[in-house]
Formats: sequence, C-alpha cells, structure tokens
Amino acid sequence: MEVFVAARPQVVPVQAPAGPSGLAGSRPQRGNAALTGALAAVAAGVAGASARRRGTITAAAKCRGARIARKAWRAYRNCHGGEHLSPERKRQLEAICEKIATPGKGITATDEGPGTIGDRFAKVGVENTEEHRRVYRQMLYETPGVNNYLSAAILDPETLHQKDDEGVLFPRALEQRGIICGVKPHLKVYELPGALGDTVMQGLDSLAMRLREYKEAGAKFAKWRSPLQISRYSPTKAAIEANMRDLARFALICQEEGLVPMVEPDIIMKGDHDLETAVAVNVEVQTNLYKAMLEHGVYMEGALLKTNLVNPGLSCDTEYMVEEIAVANLMTLRRVTPVAIKGVNFLSGGQSLEQAAARLNALNKVKQVKGSCPWNLSFSWSWALQAPLLRLCEGKGGKLPLKEMSELYLKELAIASAAAQGKYEERESSLR
Amino acid sequence: MPLAHGGLPSILPADVMAELKETATKLCAPGKGFLAADESAGPWLRAGHAEAAKIPDVIENRAAYRSLCFSTPGLSEHISGVILHWETLFQDDGLGKAMVDIIQGNGMIAGIKVDKGYNKKGMWGTLVGPLGHPEVATVGLDDLQDRCKKAYEKGARFAKWRNVLQLDPAKGLPSDLAIADTVHTLARYASICQSEGLVPIVEPEIVPNGNHDIFYCAQMTEKVLAAQFKALADHHIYLEGAVLKPNMVKNGLAGPKAYPETIATLTCQTLLRTVPPAVPGIFFLSGETALNEDNEEEATINLSTMNKLFSGKLPWHLSFSYGKALQKTCVVTWLGKDENKEAAQKALLNRAKANSQAVFGKYQKGSCASVGTDGNVMQAAGPY
Repeated sequence: MEVFVAARPQVVPVQAPAGPSGLAGSRPQRGNAALTGALAAVAAGVAGASARRRGTITAAAKCRGARIARKAWRAYRNCHGGEHLSPERKRQLEAICEKIATPGKGITATDEGPGTIGDRFAKVGVENTEEHRRVYRQMLYETPGVNNYLSAAILDPETLHQKDDEGVLFPRALEQRGIICGVKPHLKVYELPGALGDTVMQGLDSLAMRLREYKEAGAKFAKWRSPLQISRYSPTKAAIEANMRDLARFALICQEEGLVPMVEPDIIMKGDHDLETAVAVNVEVQTNLYKAMLEHGVYMEGALLKTNLVNPGLSCDTEYMVEEIAVANLMTLRRVTPVAIKGVNFLSGGQSLEQAAARLNALNKVKQVKGSCPWNLSFSWSWALQAPLLRLCEGKGGKLPLKEMSELYLKELAIASAAAQGKYEERESSLR
Repeated sequence: MPLAHGGLPSILPADVMAELKETATKLCAPGKGFLAADESAGPWLRAGHAEAAKIPDVIENRAAYRSLCFSTPGLSEHISGVILHWETLFQDDGLGKAMVDIIQGNGMIAGIKVDKGYNKKGMWGTLVGPLGHPEVATVGLDDLQDRCKKAYEKGARFAKWRNVLQLDPAKGLPSDLAIADTVHTLARYASICQSEGLVPIVEPEIVPNGNHDIFYCAQMTEKVLAAQFKALADHHIYLEGAVLKPNMVKNGLAGPKAYPETIATLTCQTLLRTVPPAVPGIFFLSGETALNEDNEEEATINLSTMNKLFSGKLPWHLSFSYGKALQKTCVVTWLGKDENKEAAQKALLNRAKANSQAVFGKYQKGSCASVGTDGNVMQAAGPY
C-alpha cells in the first residue's frame, strides 16, 4: 500500500544552521553539502569550545571534532533499511515477493548444477547430457497445470540459457506461465580450517556482476544456501555469524541489482539431536540472520526466507508426533521472524514427499488454530518432488519416461499445494 | 510434557511459565492498556501545568491522588494494569486500605517499577546529548531478584524497567556502546523478573529531545529494537510472557514536525521489521511533547491512526502505557482538592476510554475533553 513505505522525501537539502544540527528532512548523499557543512560546524564547534577554554585551537581539539563527525556518519548509515533503493525499486521487489508468497502456491527447486543432477541421473541409469537435462527441466516447468501450484522456480545458471522445444528460453517460458524465474548463483562450499565441520559459502566476490547477467537472462530473484550442521562441536558462534553476515551481504547485493534475495539458512537433518536442541540452534541462527540483515540495511519487505523445518536429527532416538513438530515450528517462527518478510518456503532436505507434505500440512493447520502467523508458509522442494520422478526412470534403459513423470509430478504438486494450505488428507495419497 | 512450549528449552518451571503467559494475556486484553502511575515525585509535577506544580509533594497527597485514580469506577474496562512506584506498592490510602487491594478490587492488575533510575554523570567516554548529559546506564540489577520476590508476594504480577537513549545525528547518538548496554540490562532485568513470576515490560525509550527529523528516529529505533530482540533471545527470555514498551517513531521536539500518518506508518514499519509475533503486546509510552502540543490528544490520535491504518496487519496487541498522557486533565481537574474527586475520576476515565477507542482505531479527534496546552511549562526531562 502506498502509505506503508514512507520514503524519505527527495527534497533540496535545507541549509543547516551553524552549530550542532539535525538532518532537516533532506536525504543526505555522500558529499551532501548541508550534512557536511553541519558536521564540519560540529567539529569546529567542538574544537572551538575547547580552544576557547584553552585559548588555542590545538591539533588534538581538531582531531576530536573530526572523530565526532565520523561517529555521526557511522551511526547514521547503519541500519538504514534499504534507504539507498528508489521507491520504484522497492515496489518492484515487494511485488515479486508478494507473487512468490501466493497462498497455495510454492516453488519447484531445480537448481542442481550439472554435476549434482548428473549423480541423480547416474543412480537411475540415465546419461547426463545437456539434452537430457533440458528435456527433464522442460517437463518440470511446462507440464500443463503446474502453474496452478507453482509461484516460482529456481534455476541453475545453465538452465537460464536453455530453450524449450518451441525455442523459447526457459525464463520466458516460465514467465508466460505465470511462474517467477529465480536463480541459484554459483557457490562453492569451503570448510573452515580447524572448525570440525563448520563451513562457509564462497561466492560473494563476483556476485554483483553475475547477478546482472542473470537478471538480463530473465531471473527475478536469487537464492543463496548456507548449510549448517548440528553436532557436539557445531555450529560454532563464529560460523553462524560468518554465514549469516554473508547472507545479509548477499541480500544487499541482490536488491542493489534489482533481484529479490531468497536467503536460505539450512540446518541439515543429519545428527542425533533432539527437537529441543534443534529449536535452540534454529533460534540462534535466525536471530543472528535478521539482526545482520537489519544492520546491513536490507529492505526487509523485499526479501524472502527459505529454510529447513525445525526437525529432530535423522538419527535421533525420540519419536515425535507430527503435531508436536508443527507446534515447535510455529512457535519458533513466531519467536524470531520479522513480520515484514512476507513468506517462508520450506526446503525438503532429504525428507520424502509424504513426510515433507505431512509436516508442512500440520504446520499450516496449527497456524489456522493458533493464529497470529502472518507469513505465507509454503514449499520449495527439490528432492521431495524429484526423487519419485527419477525412480520412474529405473529399468527404462536410460530413457526419460517424460509422460509418466509429468503425470506423477502434477499429482505431487497438488499434494504440495494442499499441504501449503493445511488441506492435505494423507489417506487420499493417490501417488501409488 | 517436554514440548509444552513448542520445544523451547525449559528455563523456568512449567507453572511459572504458565502464570507468565496468563498474566500477559490478561494485560493484553482487547481495547485495554496501562496506567503508568510510577512517577518518583508527585505525578502532578510531571503534568506540565503551572498550577499543578504548586501542590505540595508529600506522601499524603500522593496517596490521596493515586487512590483517587485507582478507585475510579469503571476504569478496568480500559485499563488492564497499573504500574506502581515502590512506595505505592506498600502504601495504604487515607482510610487504611492497601493500594494493591484497591487496584485488584477494581479489576486491574498491579505492576511495579523496579529500576533505580540513572546517574546523569553518565557512561564515561560518551557524548552529551540533547538531555544535557552524556549517555546513561540505568541501575538496579543488584538486588532485583529479592525485590521482585517481595513485589510478587505483595501482589504485583508485572514489572517495568526503563532505559533511556538520546538521539543526536551530528554526534552519532545513540552510540553502539549505549545501545549494547541498554539491551543487555533490559534482558537481564527481564530474565530475573520472569524467574519470579513477573511479566517484564521491556522499555528501551528513545527520548524525543533534539532537532532530528522523524527518519533518523525511525532508523535508530529499528537499530535499537533489532539489538533488543537479539539480546532477549540470547538471554532466553520467554517472549510470550513479556511485553514491549517502546517510543513511537516521531520527529525530535525541535525538528521538522511529522504528520500523524507518517508517525503511524514509520512506527509500524519499524515494529513489523523487528518485533516477533510471539510478543503478545506493544504498549507505547507517551513521552515528552512540545510546549505547543496537547500531550494527551497527540498520544491518543497517534495510537488510533496506527490501529486504523494497519488494522488486521499487526500480529500484536498495539496499545498504550501512558502516564502524563492519561493523567494531565485529571490532575488539573483535581488540583489537590477533595471536592474535585469525582470530576477528576471522570476525566481520567474519559481519557482512558479515548485510548481504548484508539486501540480499536476508532478515536475521533477532539471527542475527549482535555485541558490541552493550557499552562504548559518547560519541564526538565528526567526519570519519573
């Protein structure tokens, strides 16, 4: 709504009076005459005051004035909430977020690089050729009816430049079907030396330039995944802070290049930790994330979250009911997530479709009962959707049974969409 | 059942957590807010009215004035909780009835201010701000555990602690040091309160003194609240059993004046970016206003504008915790005279009702009689 984002008026700066002064309604840029003048006046005033006491303007007094002026700049530029973005840019980012966060719709995550998808193909005897990757993804985007369940798709950079059978580039083909195209920029995982398993993701350095290319190719949002693992030694505070800071910087760069950032802190399911431990670590990670984002000046209303469901570790002995996990997730979300973020899309992280759908469904059901959950809670699934499709390839002599896969995929998406609304009836699972 | 609180590690016994949640729910009842009656000196001295300032600040007068307020018939329709000064918690009225009993008997919950203010000498190395002193640190943690226990035994069920931050863009206030100290202190206080069954009101007040514009205030409020909720998470505060008392995002008293819609929009934008929905209620302080402003009306209008513009979009109860802004007309009607008692109570009830309407976004400007800007005097700002 127009009145919601009150932008600082872009007016001619009011001349600041001599002496300590505020920022008189203007939007200070680097080298803004009024602000520089005001701060210089402060510095001079400080220097002058101590000089008047001592009778001379010493170098020390000048330095102190300059230090104060520097403090002012530093404090002022921190936590500026996307102030550097134009109102139009902010509206564009918000509009994309709103579309992605459409109730009942979710994301198909198809951003596996050629290597990763190659592994998946190899397991079911399919050769990893560019053509195979192309037709497989085409099925994922263009199966008739998927656009009823999908608000967005995340692509690997290779796929951004591939075309469908009609010769239409995939980003365009998705756009034609009302599915927003996103990209996962190339990232490299790096193990922190001496950290017993903690990692950071490398990829910020050339990010701006690459995002520009992705945007030109038709991407509207970008996703960055920072995995973390719970063990006796991890994640350490240093690793959490490093990763969350990187996510914040990623978000800042995305917005500057006109793409919505989808930040993905992923606490993987490996481990034997119980649900309470998972909750505690998730709270620590996410509070770090939002504080970093706010401090970096990320425009929160133009950013989205993709994250793991808070789950007990895969090898945890305790059995939890689906409802217990749902309540833990809802309460954790409510304890940490800013309302300004419009939607949360949960990753599947190795869960089967049934498991992921059951948990997402329970969460959305609890959301309706408990209330006060302002975010759209939906899916962004890769493995959960694609594993059953790839299993259909077994024993087909290396061919992709696209028609069969299409039919199954559509049924899966219907389940995902139902789960995103709390309407999934497990008994009706008509997958087999 | 280990997951009674959604998997949150059990810092406190289950029954304590249950009580905190129950108290918080009552405090956040629809349409209701707090009467902040915890002024250190006579509350009429803070009313900014020349005649009122002449009333002698003695214990009998304070008891008379406060028992008048707390026994106002029907007040509990608009007021869920009353914040008391330590003196008042253990005080009786002129007829020997305990203040706490008056409050509870009138359908409200008693709360207690537990901070001990701050030394204006401030934190060494910080700069002097618009209040005329450096950045300060609120004290009172040392014996807080004990005092909370005593307050609970006397009947208090929630507490309040106020830290103060100043804004000065040219000097970089609030400094990171002041913010870090503020959020840490408030988190420690909240932790101790909750362990004694008291719902903590977390109040990181950014005072409006200064000539900055509203945008600077928005930015700094966002910065402070972001740090505050990170600190509360680090200190394992049970958010569902705590409430926030922030300043509204406003222009500096000597800065370019912002419209109520801008105040409402920027305030809610800031809160939506920083306050998790688990917090059941946000209760604004009224704070200082300029001499040519009607403190009571402004506070009510601003609250109403917020609830109207953002109706349905706010996941927390958005309400008031007003001292001055509830009591000024009442004080000026009372002026120390017993015969004015009923009229004074009526004034208090009316303003409480107006603020209740504001919580529903339905207050009509000017529909509540107020003494307005009559008799405003320059006030030295400070703890009250």
